[in-house]
Amino acid sequence: MSATTAFVDALAGLDRSELGAHAGLRRALRGSGLGPPEAILHPSDTAQTAEVMRSASEHGFGVLPFTSGAHREPARPSAATSPNRPWLGLCTDRLRGIEVYEAADLTLTAGAGTSMEEIDTALRANGQWAPFDPPHARDRSLGGLVADGGFGPLATGYGELRNHVLGMTAVTGDGRVLRLGGRVVKNVAGFDLVRAVTGSRGSLAILTSVTVRAFPLPAVDLVLSLRAARLEELLEAAARVRTAPVLPASCLLYERPDGEGEGAVLLVRLHGAASTVDADRTRLAAHLGRPLDVVAADRAAAAVVHARDAAWGRAVRLELSARPSRLSPLLGIVRAMDPVELALDPFTGRLRVGLEAVEADTVETLSASVEAAGGALRVSAAPSPGVVGMGTTLSEDEARLTDDLRRAFDPRGVLWPAYA
Amino acid sequence: MSVPLSSKTVRDLRSIVGAAHVITDPDRLLAYESDGLTQYRAAPSAAVLPASSDEVARVVERLHGEGIAIVPRGAGTGLSGGALPSEGAVVLGTARMNRILEVDPDDRLAVVQPGVTNARLTEATRPFDLYYAPDPSSQSTCTLGGNVAENSGGPHCLKYGVTSRYVTGLTVVLAGGRVARLGGSGRVASGGLDLTGLFVGSEGCFGIATAIEVRLLPLPASVRTLLAIFDTMEAAGHAVTGIIGSGLMPAAVEIIDRATIEAVEASVFAAGYPKGVGAALVVEFDGTEAGLDADADRAERCCLEVGAREVRRARSEEERLGLWKGRKKAFGAMGRIAPDLLVQDATVPRTRLPHVLASITEIGKQYELRIANVFHAGDGNLHPNILFDRADPDELERVERASHEIMKLCVDAGGTITGEHGVGIDKRAYMGLVHNETELDMLRRVRGVFDADHLFNPGKVVPDAVETPAEPVGSERASAAHAEAGAP
Ligand SMILES: Cc1cc2nc3c(=O)[nH]c(=O)nc-3n(C[C@H](O)[C@H](O)[C@H](O)COP(=O)(O)OP(=O)(O)OC[C@H]3O[C@@H](n4cnc5c(N)ncnc54)[C@H](O)[C@@H]3O)c2cc1C
Repeated sequence: MSATTAFVDALAGLDRSELGAHAGLRRALRGSGLGPPEAILHPSDTAQTAEVMRSASEHGFGVLPFTSGAHREPARPSAATSPNRPWLGLCTDRLRGIEVYEAADLTLTAGAGTSMEEIDTALRANGQWAPFDPPHARDRSLGGLVADGGFGPLATGYGELRNHVLGMTAVTGDGRVLRLGGRVVKNVAGFDLVRAVTGSRGSLAILTSVTVRAFPLPAVDLVLSLRAARLEELLEAAARVRTAPVLPASCLLYERPDGEGEGAVLLVRLHGAASTVDADRTRLAAHLGRPLDVVAADRAAAAVVHARDAAWGRAVRLELSARPSRLSPLLGIVRAMDPVELALDPFTGRLRVGLEAVEADTVETLSASVEAAGGALRVSAAPSPGVVGMGTTLSEDEARLTDDLRRAFDPRGVLWPAYA
Repeated sequence: MSVPLSSKTVRDLRSIVGAAHVITDPDRLLAYESDGLTQYRAAPSAAVLPASSDEVARVVERLHGEGIAIVPRGAGTGLSGGALPSEGAVVLGTARMNRILEVDPDDRLAVVQPGVTNARLTEATRPFDLYYAPDPSSQSTCTLGGNVAENSGGPHCLKYGVTSRYVTGLTVVLAGGRVARLGGSGRVASGGLDLTGLFVGSEGCFGIATAIEVRLLPLPASVRTLLAIFDTMEAAGHAVTGIIGSGLMPAAVEIIDRATIEAVEASVFAAGYPKGVGAALVVEFDGTEAGLDADADRAERCCLEVGAREVRRARSEEERLGLWKGRKKAFGAMGRIAPDLLVQDATVPRTRLPHVLASITEIGKQYELRIANVFHAGDGNLHPNILFDRADPDELERVERASHEIMKLCVDAGGTITGEHGVGIDKRAYMGLVHNETELDMLRRVRGVFDADHLFNPGKVVPDAVETPAEPVGSERASAAHAEAGAP
């Protein structure tokens, strides 16, 4: 350990660990140009987290927060911070545990490092759940999930995760502790900083505790499907689901060569009381002009996970979005890139693409078409650092506001942004 | 005191928006002196009514160039003094920006100018069997621009969520007159910060929304509406907790208390409530026809279990409107029994409703004030309405003190000082109850990111740093609460 980290030693009572113990973080760092951290610290509460941030800020260190690191987008130093700058890993695994769970109020507060699995188990014991389903949702920590802000197909029926983050304790880049929002479901006491921090991927503040809304478990979770050889054959059916008089809990059209058989699947979930779901299924079939197959109850959970994680684990991952009705020509361009997996959400207009490899100029061509359609593109995983993060750039005004917000939360640029 | 604009400024504004749309005549400016919170009044220097994003940008550029502050204004139904003109400011009204720019039934979205009223948007989308979900009780008058600025809610936001869930993109005019586009439904993959979400609820302090893109929902196929009558408010509160905790997903759960019912029954809006009722609950379920009766039955049982005197169920749309009548006409009825009405707004965890409601009754007794409760109970969003006469200075003083006690009560119960009406001018003094100085400073910094010189709606939302808190009791309590939580 270098002399510059003497201040780290002075941080009393903090657990340390070595990078070797964090396979997920190691993977996330690959191709980032970042060397190993000077230390990995495990603060046990908000006060210790604030102390780390204040010290790091004072000594010119960067800090990268993570829980397992496995679901992080690859960490990239921003243009403003030198990759040679020493940095600390801040692992939130000790900020763990459910702090307050008011089942009758459908709200839950937990430490940022609490696993979603633990939260899910606690909620289900009370007939409740958290309908947040980005890929690998149950393997993530609450803080990681909220910092990432990602959402899955259930956003169609329940709204995106960011609508259900009610409050948080956040530590700014310079160690200020902010208690934002609260434990109530409606709250407009001041500007909505919870919204700003949710999805900021650790670029504004470190979350130490988060309050989310819980939902009653639906009596019936019916999973329906249609199959075809290729995703394109199901595009029209997916569009019909979007305009159906019934709003499903989720709808995803995906193509995945492993597991549940080859080819494309349109997976639709209906939630509610048994009689409601039954009627919805009939109405949906009438609107589509064909019935959907019921996925057998013993296979439904696996089918949902299979769909949810589609196009996630490949070497290259593209996140593309456009107004839903404008996706199909873009899909044509994507198809020519030889994708291995595809996942298209016909309600939110998102298309995730999994590839084995990609060239920078192919991304550029695709990006131009996506932007011409009013959409956006982001390369969120790739083996080569030059490609990760490619895609749609923010407008001049959005970039200015983003930079200024980052300065407001993190005046010394301590927090390594996960994206530039 | 109104500060007149220079004749050059007025001329320039007229050349941008047309002579008829720059108002400087003091009589006509009276209409811009206050919003729905009429205790506060101030005359603006002028009111300007641009018709397009481009005109807004040019007006902002012109006024900010001279250091003149701008107060955005929609329909002026706000209840926290958000559209109250600040000293020397010009009101920028969106009344002429009332076009629906796009309805796309295929992608289920609409783009509107900010002056479009909430109800008109739903009317325009109904032919496509779609609607705009957030439904403030003021929806026939209030504007989408105002809804965005306040992050407004409404009775059916219990099931469907508030404004921020439905706003997918914005065109905004920022300080100095720059036009910026934030978000957009096709741009979720950009991976940027949620600037759209941050702008929603910024109460006119970040800029002016000039185009609003919203998500639409399919109209629910059917609806069931119940009206449950209780002897006591406490029982009604328990029924709310029971319904929410039972796993049901009602579209709306609204409470009307005894004082409100009496006011309604004494007015032209009389809805036929039995005499001597303690409280009434309107519970509504919507969605697919099948299953609604079962939900309504369960809700009815929840009410009866805690002692509801009777539960009525609407059999027709006409009967449904009848059951809603007491709720919808409550404000109008109260306006008839007292010269002045202060509509308070706060949220508490739903499990604390019975306790908080009982305490509010006590506060009313202690300060000898009539407090009538009518509110979004399912969300824990209270509206204790204080009836008074401003001509009576002693009563006015008691209103202030009771308001403060109620806010403190709600915060102590784990709640907050406003659930949907915003901070505006009215709740600034209470911000110290929920935020410490570090947090207030952060709110100021974020405002500075959008508007460094505070030329949009100055003096609203965040108390000034130098200001000593108006209510020493409150600030003591707030700092104690923060010390407990381990915050600096
Ligand atoms: C009888 C009654 C019932 C109500 N019921 C509800 C309810 O159920 N739920 C609820 O949430 N509220 C309710 N309200 C409060 C009020 O109607 C809402 O806050 C509404 O959103 C205000 O809209 P407005 O157009 O009247 O805005 P205004 O009052 O004109 O302005 C409100 C704020 O928005 C800003 N603003 C307006 N337009 C813009 C713009 N284009 N860009 C930026 N800032 C802008 C103003 O500066 C101000 O700060 C009620 C009010 C009344 C009188």
